[in-house]
Amino acid sequence: MAHQTRRDFLKTAAIAGATLTGISSNPTKAAQQNVLSENRMGVLVDTTVCIGCRKCEWACKTAHNLPTQPLESYDDKSVFKSMRRPNDKELTVINEYPARSWDDYPTTVKVQCMHCDKPACVSACIVGAFSKVENGSVIWNGDKCIGCRYCMVACPFQIPAFEFEKALKPDIKKCDFCFDRTKEGKLPACVEICPNEVLTYGPREELVRVAHQKIQLYPKRYINYIYGENEVGGTSWMYLANRHFKELQFPALGGSPAPGVSEAIQHGIFAYFVPPIALYALLGGVMWINKNRKPSDSDSEGRHE
Amino acid sequence: MKKMILSLIVAIPLLISAQTKVGDNHASAPGLKCLTCHSCPIPTKENPCLKPCPREGMIRIDQKPEDGPKIIIIDKFKKQSDLYMPVRFSHLAHAEMSEMGGGCRMCHHYNPPGNVIGCSECHEVSRKRADVSKPDLKGAYHRHCMDCHRAWTGGTDCNYCHLPNGANRPLPEKSKADESKKRIHPKVETPEKILFSTNTNYGKTVLFRHQEHNKVFGFDCSDCHSNESCVKCHKAQKTIEVSKLSAADKHKKCLECHDTKSSCNMCHSNKETNAFDHMAKTGFDNSKFHGELACIRCHTTKGKFTGLSPDCNSCHGIWTQSNFNHKITGVVLDETHSGAECKDCHQEKNFAKPVCTNCHDDKSFPANVPGKLIPKGWIPIKKNK
Repeated sequence: MAHQTRRDFLKTAAIAGATLTGISSNPTKAAQQNVLSENRMGVLVDTTVCIGCRKCEWACKTAHNLPTQPLESYDDKSVFKSMRRPNDKELTVINEYPARSWDDYPTTVKVQCMHCDKPACVSACIVGAFSKVENGSVIWNGDKCIGCRYCMVACPFQIPAFEFEKALKPDIKKCDFCFDRTKEGKLPACVEICPNEVLTYGPREELVRVAHQKIQLYPKRYINYIYGENEVGGTSWMYLANRHFKELQFPALGGSPAPGVSEAIQHGIFAYFVPPIALYALLGGVMWINKNRKPSDSDSEGRHE
Repeated sequence: MKKMILSLIVAIPLLISAQTKVGDNHASAPGLKCLTCHSCPIPTKENPCLKPCPREGMIRIDQKPEDGPKIIIIDKFKKQSDLYMPVRFSHLAHAEMSEMGGGCRMCHHYNPPGNVIGCSECHEVSRKRADVSKPDLKGAYHRHCMDCHRAWTGGTDCNYCHLPNGANRPLPEKSKADESKKRIHPKVETPEKILFSTNTNYGKTVLFRHQEHNKVFGFDCSDCHSNESCVKCHKAQKTIEVSKLSAADKHKKCLECHDTKSSCNMCHSNKETNAFDHMAKTGFDNSKFHGELACIRCHTTKGKFTGLSPDCNSCHGIWTQSNFNHKITGVVLDETHSGAECKDCHQEKNFAKPVCTNCHDDKSFPANVPGKLIPKGWIPIKKNK
């Protein structure tokens, strides 16, 4: 067989491709995790006791080796003049919302990754760089990331940030629930430093129970709602407040998990090698129709001549 | 069999003593039921089944500021890595300040009856803990401090209370001087009256007799002022502007006792309203024998001063010669009269002026006295308030 036909080439390519995907997809699946452990940890944020001291911002930067201003500069409250979002240099920020009446304090709200129970970023990541791990953290693996930034689009809270300024090896940056610290049995840096224990760290199930108990005991202090209990299928970070969460710029999200729809479509389509088969079937069909039509076309042309 | 009896004899007193031991600790307060604090009928040390806080209904702390510690160094949760040094907390100054707001229980909020207990009795030192239903010690302290200090300083500056870790600054002279003082915060003086100007149709002013409400009506400072912070007096950053209050808010405190809906003229007037006079208001002269009593001794539901019967027996029970010490009226009866029935002389139910005409045709009180008069200035023995 010195002369290789077109058909032969396609045959070999298909076999080789299938083998390759088979090999490469297996280790990826094993490394990426998406576990929803019953003992997963969480944080209950009680915004009614937050004083906006911004110590958590400082602790976060220090724990993640990000450049930071000296501690004293965090007493500067002028940053509250504009609304801030977490970015590649600040994984968590505090925003202030004006007091509702003269005898009330402003409400300060910490913003960071919510560590969803059904994380959209994990689902969207095509190379498995994101994982939801045993202790509830949603973490990112820089070795796998190809920089497609699908995670940024997928996240319902718009949390993952990209180091646009870096030309070489830019990273996706987001709160990792201090995974390196919790691995060693330490508390997340922000939880540890918070003077008022606005951030209560504990098993998520326990926190939900405690939050409901607090609302029941202090009905005047809290509105009867735990943000994050059911949002997008539940999040590890949950919030209590004395005013409607809409006023505090929390996105109004339903209870169904963000990856639910896309995952169903994607997994449905890609299951059992459907798309390539369908594509080949379509092309084959077109070819078959064309093949049948040709002689009749030339026949009609001949008649006119 | 003998052994069994012996062991029973030993075990029974032990069991009894174990039970009373629990009682000694905290259940000594009268009228306190186990189920006020515990959710199960038989709490044990292993499973106290405590109800979640708040349990404010049962708190009673009867200490004065000077009974507590003067200075507390808050270093229970101190760590090498801390950013700030432990706080030198002037317990005395804060206890004095709390007199306006509700006393010890402003901070010792869920104190069981008996001794005052420290914060660390309930709040755990470690932030990483099993029971996260109440804040840890560091959180509990800061929440309490910041509640007032945020308003007081208008900010959240840590250096107001803490020295940065490693700083070798000596103590400010002022706090040194404070520590040697007997009293740090001056006693809060009660104003006699406060004149509020209003723009209603009922009158231009409302005269609030402040001292009368304290001394005559028996209100504690905290009954009205408990939700105010230091800035109410010190006017640092945030002052409470009465003009910004809604009409409902302005009347809120008065409404607890006064009918502010229909009897506006009681407080609103163009001229100074009269001080409270029990005789003029109710027709019962309380100055003679009841003047020393707090209102609540007779009007037992605080804040609701409903009319009582002027009939002495309605409160005091049936008086007879044997159970009434006539001396307290200023007249010691002589032998002849001490044998008579009360109603022989006092025919009215309020035991007012006696009549002599029942037995004597030619005698009358006070020209004739049925015994010996006690000189004026003699004060009847005060009964416990």
